[in-house]
Amino acid sequence: MNASRPPRKRAAFEPLAPPEERNPRMRRPAATVAGGVLVLLRALSGAVWGAAVLFGLPPWLRAIAGFANGDNIIPAEDTIDDLGLPPEVFVGVLGVVFLVQVVFGILLLWGSNAARVIVMIVSTISIVTAFVSWWEVGAEITVATTLVTLALDILVLLALSSRDAAAFARRNEKRD
Amino acid sequence: MPVTRRRRRWSIGHLLDGFFFVFAGLAAIWLAYLSLTQAFQVGWAGVLLAIVFWGLLAYLVLPRLHRILTMIYVPDYFMGRTRTSDGLLGDPVNLAVLGEREQIERALAAAGWIAADPVGWGSSWRIITSTLRRRSYPRAPVSPLFLFGRMQDLAYQQEVAGSPAQRHHVRFWQCPDGWLLPGGRRVDWLAAGTFDRAVGLSLFTLQVTHRIDADTDIERDHIVESLSGVPGVEVDVIRDFATGYHSRNGGGDSITTDGDLPILDVRAIRIPDAAEPAGSAPSVDAGVE
Repeated sequence: MNASRPPRKRAAFEPLAPPEERNPRMRRPAATVAGGVLVLLRALSGAVWGAAVLFGLPPWLRAIAGFANGDNIIPAEDTIDDLGLPPEVFVGVLGVVFLVQVVFGILLLWGSNAARVIVMIVSTISIVTAFVSWWEVGAEITVATTLVTLALDILVLLALSSRDAAAFARRNEKRD
Repeated sequence: MPVTRRRRRWSIGHLLDGFFFVFAGLAAIWLAYLSLTQAFQVGWAGVLLAIVFWGLLAYLVLPRLHRILTMIYVPDYFMGRTRTSDGLLGDPVNLAVLGEREQIERALAAAGWIAADPVGWGSSWRIITSTLRRRSYPRAPVSPLFLFGRMQDLAYQQEVAGSPAQRHHVRFWQCPDGWLLPGGRRVDWLAAGTFDRAVGLSLFTLQVTHRIDADTDIERDHIVESLSGVPGVEVDVIRDFATGYHSRNGGGDSITTDGDLPILDVRAIRIPDAAEPAGSAPSVDAGVE
């Protein structure tokens, strides 16, 4: 009797967040790699920019690094003396930011869901801030200002919010 | 018990995921707009930015938009069509199989079909280079298509003219337990076979992809013919399973079919290591549970 039971009816629409299957052996998808590597590159560019300001490295190096992480809002001619900060504080702040970014990049590659959600929240705040200043204040977003930074934020968000990345970050969750 | 499990699907984490999924799509549209306006302002570097714009549009923005929109308007029940990873309607389901996975694999191998490599960094790079240099890549990967919410379980192909640009290919999905075809027949596997005739741009996402031959019945009949020569394979056909139709697949290629669904019965194929004759397999699981 039980064997001929009709199969259970299934919903005809697709849920917004489809239930992923628990799959601890899932391979790391490209989206997760992209998200983690972008965050690591950002940490690296921050370090290069800091070094460029401190030691007066070539301006093109500083400019490229600044584009990647948004530090180029500080004029390129400014040296460490113009910032009005003691070098220790400058190094300390940049060092903490660098460490946090590296840790999050590695956690992302590892497939931590908490790191994924936190990075997505930070990216979202940064994107919304950029959008408001563009829409309301009319701030120019060009290649010479913050377009590259914004693009990296959006790419990180796109990569980490994809279904693949979500399924990988939740691969150990027990589901029915 | 199932009720409490079901509730977890709507946890805060999943709601956040849904929000970020949609928000990232909107942000990507904005980014595409910004890079397009920049492309007209920076002179020759604009050409580079235009390529970046196409890449963003084709591989990030349009797929995400299609994903969000098809989630809303494409119903998720069986309608004889597979779906692409973006949720668009893909190749038509035009074959059914009765039998176990090993039996299908043996039959396909005997009929001269070659299993496709899984999509990965290495295999993707190799299909691009071998297509450009017109080199043979008989195990070239096939893109994922989805049925029952799952990627294909098996993918087989036959290269034509020594280049991955043209090939016969067919994907197989195992049906869920207890699942019946519309009309009530039970099959173990469903398959979608189409012929890749060239490499081109997808109409819906602008991605580089294979264009398929419009007459999918030719490819279906080619697969059936190649397999019906294998000893132990029986063929039955449900005439007019789907009414004949014209439509488009996920890449925007037109497809046309008469709606027949051949059922390949491979249960008589013997697997050397199997303890019991494969022909008696269907009666084994009846009555259990």
